[in-house]
Amino acid sequence: MNTKHLKQLVLAAATGAQLTLPALAADNAATGTNGAAQVEIPAFAADGSGGNSSDAAEINLLKQQLQVLIQKVNALEQQRAPVQQTAAIQDLGQQVRILQRQRELDQDAAAVKAASAPKATLGANGFNFASADTNFVTQIHGVIQLDSRAFFHDDGAKGIDGFLLRRARPILSGTVFHDFDYNFTPDFGGSTVQIPDAYVTYRYAPEFQVQAGKFKSPVGLEHLQSDRDISFNERSLVTDLVPNRDLGLQLKGDLNGGVVSYALALLDGAPDYNGTTTNTYSQNDLAEVARLFFQPWKNSGVNALRGLGFGLAGSYEIDNPNPKAATGLTPGFTTDGQQKFFTYTNGAYAGGQHWRVSPQSYYYYGPLGLLGEYVVNGQRVTNGKTTADVINNAWEITGSWLLTGEDATYSAITPRHNFDPRNGQWGAWQVVARFAGLNVGNDAFTSGLASRKTSADGAQAWAVGVNWFLNKNIRANLSFSHTTFGGYTGSKSTSASYAVPAQDENVLFTRIQLAF
Amino acid sequence: MKTFLILLLATAVVTSANAKEIKLLNVSYDPTRELYTEYNAAFAKYWQAKSGDSVNISQSHGGSGKQAQSVINGLEADVVTLALAYDIDAIAAQAKLLPADWQKRLPNNSTPYTSTIVFLVRKGNPKGIKDWDDVVKKGTSVVVANPKTSGGARWAYLAAYAYALEHNNHDDAKAKEFIKSLYKNVPVLDTGARGSTVTFAQRQIGDVLLAWENEAHLALKEFGDDKFDIVTPSLSILAEPPVSVVDKNAKRHKTTEIANEYLVYLYSDEGQEIAAKNFYRPRNEAIAKKYAANFNEVKLVNIDQEFGGWAKAQKTHFADGGTFDQIFQP
Repeated sequence: MNTKHLKQLVLAAATGAQLTLPALAADNAATGTNGAAQVEIPAFAADGSGGNSSDAAEINLLKQQLQVLIQKVNALEQQRAPVQQTAAIQDLGQQVRILQRQRELDQDAAAVKAASAPKATLGANGFNFASADTNFVTQIHGVIQLDSRAFFHDDGAKGIDGFLLRRARPILSGTVFHDFDYNFTPDFGGSTVQIPDAYVTYRYAPEFQVQAGKFKSPVGLEHLQSDRDISFNERSLVTDLVPNRDLGLQLKGDLNGGVVSYALALLDGAPDYNGTTTNTYSQNDLAEVARLFFQPWKNSGVNALRGLGFGLAGSYEIDNPNPKAATGLTPGFTTDGQQKFFTYTNGAYAGGQHWRVSPQSYYYYGPLGLLGEYVVNGQRVTNGKTTADVINNAWEITGSWLLTGEDATYSAITPRHNFDPRNGQWGAWQVVARFAGLNVGNDAFTSGLASRKTSADGAQAWAVGVNWFLNKNIRANLSFSHTTFGGYTGSKSTSASYAVPAQDENVLFTRIQLAF
Repeated sequence: MKTFLILLLATAVVTSANAKEIKLLNVSYDPTRELYTEYNAAFAKYWQAKSGDSVNISQSHGGSGKQAQSVINGLEADVVTLALAYDIDAIAAQAKLLPADWQKRLPNNSTPYTSTIVFLVRKGNPKGIKDWDDVVKKGTSVVVANPKTSGGARWAYLAAYAYALEHNNHDDAKAKEFIKSLYKNVPVLDTGARGSTVTFAQRQIGDVLLAWENEAHLALKEFGDDKFDIVTPSLSILAEPPVSVVDKNAKRHKTTEIANEYLVYLYSDEGQEIAAKNFYRPRNEAIAKKYAANFNEVKLVNIDQEFGGWAKAQKTHFADGGTFDQIFQP
């Protein structure tokens, strides 16, 4: 084999073509096969000799043959490329699908993880931290009320003008194990730290709930309204005759979606309203308290009656306190300005049955709100020598109107537009008015258990005010209250020592409230 | 006053009692959706005829291990119908919601139907997959769920492992290598069997799906038998998905009687027929014979004999640090 033949072979091998070389046919028996490119190569001289002209011709021939080969190789490569590309594309497609699926699975896993993660929310309703299944919930709320009181025509001697922190309550509440609610509310307002609420409630069903701890005794309608939602800075005279917070057990529930609500409680037996609550008991006998409240149209389509509620509450107990430790009597009936206009004389104490009955009602329709309540309260009072069943009564009616058209409710008002002066929004505005009266049983005075020289035998008050709800959390109050007293026969002196009923009480209240 | 209080209390209790209706929650594993949809309707009809009461049965499905964990974490299942006994054992052991010997309460180890693991391949079986050796070949893309979360995937893992042991003189090291090769071919690990079917059938990933037998048949039914073929390997595993009442939940829900009946009825002719129609192998021999055409002959190994039971298999292979953790690298 000469070098020219070798070149041809190498070229052929490099291009992948199969060559038919007659001169070498005997040597290697290379033959064309089906589908293979075949190039005819002329027989080479056996001795390899040849002149220049024949070399040039041969080179030309080779060049032509090479061109043919190149074309054929190109054609072959073009035929093979789609097959290779298709396989590559398929492989790529598979990889893309795998990546897409992995992404889907990652997203699913992330969603599952997010669903099982505790959720924390912060908003107008306070801070809420809940487990994914909501079986465990912790809520942090709070109420801060900064008030001012300015007494008029008191010669600056009795009512004290100034600012006060009326309530400052961080409220920790929540749920454990789905069915058990709790509430712990200390109050740093006023001059003493108190615990107004500390209780646990087991919710078997809305119709059947059991509560234990310290909470509002379920008697007074105005008293049961949340401190943050009451119409005026201070509750009315009627609340003087109902118990405040008490300790014990309560069974309560809402039947038929709240159409009927009931509460039955066994409590220590708190005296008539006392702003300072205790965390202990002062007598052996317990008080039985019951309340039944109806909202017959609550879930109906009768809009005008949906907000009508009425009910009856009452309590009964045998007061038997140790008079050296506690009298079991009211520390004093107080005015809107929180001044005592009636107290029992020293040495008087509760000495037997004590009962209260309170028919009560409210009505809310559109911006209109009405709340009315009557309490009659009978208590056996003694000083060891004389005993009397003193029957007191009180009443009140409060009306409110939301000037900005929001719906009035027994609970919180939500402004249609939050206060935002830059955009011409001014929150919700409400006007309120209230009339109230309290009459002390005459037996208290005829039996020497109280004295008209230091106490009034009754009081009547009216109050008007404006409430501004900047948003769900911030509220400002401005109100004026006028109270007159009856039966007082003591000194009308305006000296510092005169009794509260010596003259009418006129108070201007303001309040800035943060509640969340 | 006392009469008033008693009346009020009675009203509250009666009102809350009347508001109840019979509800049953069946927490099951991934591929049983269709089975229990059909069975629940049949049982509700049966129960109403028997007792006059209507029953509303809810289903929850997911990877068997995940479902068991959900029940342990508080999902209030009245009954569980899971992929393997170990998952119900976990509920008994960790949450104490049912006794440890729960499996003795119903016939056939509380397993009213059985199944096995087969291969679902693309139509015409382009990769020529006939047995487990083909599944572990380099270049074969295998779809199977994560055995940490899926009962079906655990059965598939053990079926492959059993095959490897059988063909390697029970050489455990070689079986491990075999299973390692298998999982090298797995590009995506779903959390449950149904997810794997989606990966293979809908997302067009992989050459072979290691599937519950019923799931493979369902894929044919769902996507058309012109898209896939079922290949039965020479050896697979006898998968026994058990059922049990979750005693404490049922007691609390006052559903113990109906929950028991719900499971017992799975052994009835109607229950067994529904299982067979959904490609679960029924325990009832007559019904198994009637539906024999649905099920290919296959040599089945038993987990107790081959792996010493579920507790041992779980600890050896699927617990943290077990064989699967050793051989699988995502």
